[in-house]
Amino acid sequence: MSDAEALRRFVLDTLADVGATVSEADPLSWIQVPERVRSDLEVPSTFAITFDPDRVGDFEAELVAPGSYFLERIVALAASRGRWDVARFDAADAEWIQQSLSEGGLGSETGVHLETVELGETVLLLFSFRVTLVSDEKRERFHLIAVSPTTGSAWEVDSAKADSGLTALPQARIEPDLQAAYRLGAEKLRETTREAVGAFRAASLGLLEEEVRRIFGYFDRTIEEIQAADPDGSQDLLRAVRGERDRRLAETVERFDPKASASLCAIRAIQVPIARVRLRLPQGRGIDATLDAWSRRVDGLACDVCHGIDGPWIPYAGAVRCVRCPPTPAESARPRGRPRSDTPRRGTRDGRGSARSPRGSTARSRAASGRRRAP
Amino acid sequence: MSLPVSEAARPADASLSLQFDDADADLLARAFRTPGDGPRAWALNGEAHRISLIDGFDRLLAWPTLRGVVRYPHQERTCLRVLREMRGRAILADEVGLGKTIEAGLLLKEYTIRGLVRRALILTPASLTGQWREEMESKFELPFAVLRSVGDWERRPLLVASIDTAKRDPHRVWAQRTSWDLVIVDEAHRLKNRLSVNWRFVAGLSKKYMLLLTATPVQNDMDELFNLVSLLKPGALHTYDRFVERYVGSADGRVPAHVPELRDRLRDVMVRNRRGIAFTLPPRRVHSLPVRLSPRERRLYDDVTEFVRDAYWSVSGRMSWAARLTLIVLQREIGSSTFAVAETLNRLTQSPLFGAAERERLEALRDDARAIPSNVKADHLAGFLRSSDEKALVFTQYLRTMHYLKGVLEGDGHRVVIYHGGLPPAAKDAAVRSFRGEGQIFLSTEAGGEGRNLQFARTVVNYDLPWNPLRIEQRIGRVHRLGQTREVHVVNLWAQDTVEAYLMELLDRKIHMFELVVGELDLILGTLDERRSFEDMMMEIWTLRQAEERRAALRRLGDALVRARDQYDAMRERNDEVLRDVSDEVPA
Repeated sequence: MSDAEALRRFVLDTLADVGATVSEADPLSWIQVPERVRSDLEVPSTFAITFDPDRVGDFEAELVAPGSYFLERIVALAASRGRWDVARFDAADAEWIQQSLSEGGLGSETGVHLETVELGETVLLLFSFRVTLVSDEKRERFHLIAVSPTTGSAWEVDSAKADSGLTALPQARIEPDLQAAYRLGAEKLRETTREAVGAFRAASLGLLEEEVRRIFGYFDRTIEEIQAADPDGSQDLLRAVRGERDRRLAETVERFDPKASASLCAIRAIQVPIARVRLRLPQGRGIDATLDAWSRRVDGLACDVCHGIDGPWIPYAGAVRCVRCPPTPAESARPRGRPRSDTPRRGTRDGRGSARSPRGSTARSRAASGRRRAP
Repeated sequence: MSLPVSEAARPADASLSLQFDDADADLLARAFRTPGDGPRAWALNGEAHRISLIDGFDRLLAWPTLRGVVRYPHQERTCLRVLREMRGRAILADEVGLGKTIEAGLLLKEYTIRGLVRRALILTPASLTGQWREEMESKFELPFAVLRSVGDWERRPLLVASIDTAKRDPHRVWAQRTSWDLVIVDEAHRLKNRLSVNWRFVAGLSKKYMLLLTATPVQNDMDELFNLVSLLKPGALHTYDRFVERYVGSADGRVPAHVPELRDRLRDVMVRNRRGIAFTLPPRRVHSLPVRLSPRERRLYDDVTEFVRDAYWSVSGRMSWAARLTLIVLQREIGSSTFAVAETLNRLTQSPLFGAAERERLEALRDDARAIPSNVKADHLAGFLRSSDEKALVFTQYLRTMHYLKGVLEGDGHRVVIYHGGLPPAAKDAAVRSFRGEGQIFLSTEAGGEGRNLQFARTVVNYDLPWNPLRIEQRIGRVHRLGQTREVHVVNLWAQDTVEAYLMELLDRKIHMFELVVGELDLILGTLDERRSFEDMMMEIWTLRQAEERRAALRRLGDALVRARDQYDAMRERNDEVLRDVSDEVPA
């Protein structure tokens, strides 16, 4: 779908969702809005909109295009609604438990033994955040962070998959502990965006430094030239040049000052089946974990190398490490019959080529050195 | 303030922390206390945020919002370059007629859409403030206000100001106290002298982004280029002494040195699009239609002129500004039509500006004007239009002339569309659409189609001639602009032995104005060493009592115009020499 078509769909869907009647008569759309949203949109009860700037004059139609006032109103209206929502994820059978383990690199073929301790339900919270980085340019991203109040873990969710398999529960009443979950989500967001924020800051400060050097170079050499030309010259002139330099510096510092902010857009509560399991690793160590049917995460594990809590995992010598970490010396001494490397196995998510699972020694080495450089 | 390099460049702490919005707490307090708005509203909430995300300057978001603007790839390239590489500080030095104003408006719109510009100031010559305001409003939906009072500096976040007004106290203080996100300076060659009040005023503004617009960054000598660039990015051309040593090749400062290296440096701060061969505008063909007035019209013209001269040089010598303006209007109207002048004469019979004897003369003139049923010039117009199948734009300065012509032309079987400043916006749009469709004649006053694309027509008829040549140029510019592919015909109707005949002598025969690209005339008039407006100069010549005096004064003005044109041609060559390869030629 083109940008223009996506924009048109969004505007017409938003109007329909607030109870407006839309009659399309290309190039205009006639809108009749209920009383309660008239003031939000600052429109009369019936009006025309157009997506074609050259038709704005027709029947005083409001232009809908990036930067137009009406689009700003519509975006503000849509962003003020739908700020919380309840949905449910249902699993057809109990197969999801074994599938979750396989996707997490802990399938039965790896020698990990599964014992289901308890089946139940929980409520996961999905926070949507808008992250804005500004200096003399602006960069924005939308992030979905899921939080499990049950396990206290938080992770980023791919927005393309966030709605998959969910059923709406508009009338459900729940009372989650939002404050604690928000803190976890915010912390996860900081972690997720740390690299991008750091790169943005470095780029802005690089530009600032370049400008500051140029300004100092120019004004200081100008002062030297003035003094060389007339050693007994006017001090007023030199003061004026220094004043101009300081003003330019202040302007430059202001211009390239980087800022990073995040705002919470909406929260979704997702009722989801969970399983508490005990995983026995190949050399006997047992680990308690929690799995949920929606995210398919294996919650409760920590990487022996980096202590990260995000899989997929590789079991070795009675422990686990995440696929992003290099093999340990203990792993090299692995007994025969055990998995020899972190090459994802056929049938697992990583075996299908997940971008999050670099394969081969070069990729691992690059990933590891990248982490070492991280702040 | 005095910051050492390391201190200025070093942040307060070693990392940049994500700041969470205080409003998040409100949402946490309210969420789930009541049922939500439903899954569709949740999805639309996400969509609202996604479509309004800004990610650097990956593309121009403003293109789809522009009204009546033909999009040209060179303008898009220019804007992306200014946004990405020059980071919003640039000299837009396109050759005349390639759309610098559109580029500046586009950049401004991009920044506003992205939330990076909220306060913007456009500095222009006084004569262009209204035009800028109108263009920003009509093409970019940016509600600029023209500076009227000191209070506007605080009240109006988007302001157009005459630089001559803004640089004077108390305006200067307000302008320099404000923190501007973007400052645009039109006709920036007026900032060529760093010791001038103009230069120091602009240098003293606090701004994040700045655009300097000029087709001729180098007017006389290389110092001017240095001063312009230093305003934008001090140090980009070294210090002044080093600049002179390296890039100036003659004692008079007019010859550049190390030109390739200089161009390399200029590329960091300047975009200059030139018309390639394929992008050259089609030629204009000028048709001059002199008209001999009927005896009654001639008598009326001469009588009105005599009245104007008498009043202008009245023995009291205390003519008010209002009376002087009234006389100019009267003389211009009689050059348009007897219908235009008749109502003004009637109004003046009651005016306190004139004494009893003068009012008596005015009454007689009014009666004479009303007694003339038709004008010879209109017959000539009808005759010309009958001879052509082309759609034509017919311009007049006065509504009463327009209504008279509408009757004449419709009576002749033409489909006439009228367009004037009093029409509501929807009616204006409808008029342009009608002309594009079935309409044959677009009959318009001065407000005719500013910012409208009328290039589908190629014939412009000047039924009367404004005394301000820039207005004539604006009329022609409605069709002779980017996007015009066919030869353009300019038809000038003028009566012999009138002010308009003088205008034709000066503008057509002396400086070949009708062959200039739109925008060049302003640069030529700008080099005239003359503080009076062109209209005032015309009026002063025309009101001289002796024909010989008038001819001599006309000759002097003609010579000054020829010199100004020569100066302009030399200046254009100088800019080509220095800036030729700063940007590429604009392809078709």
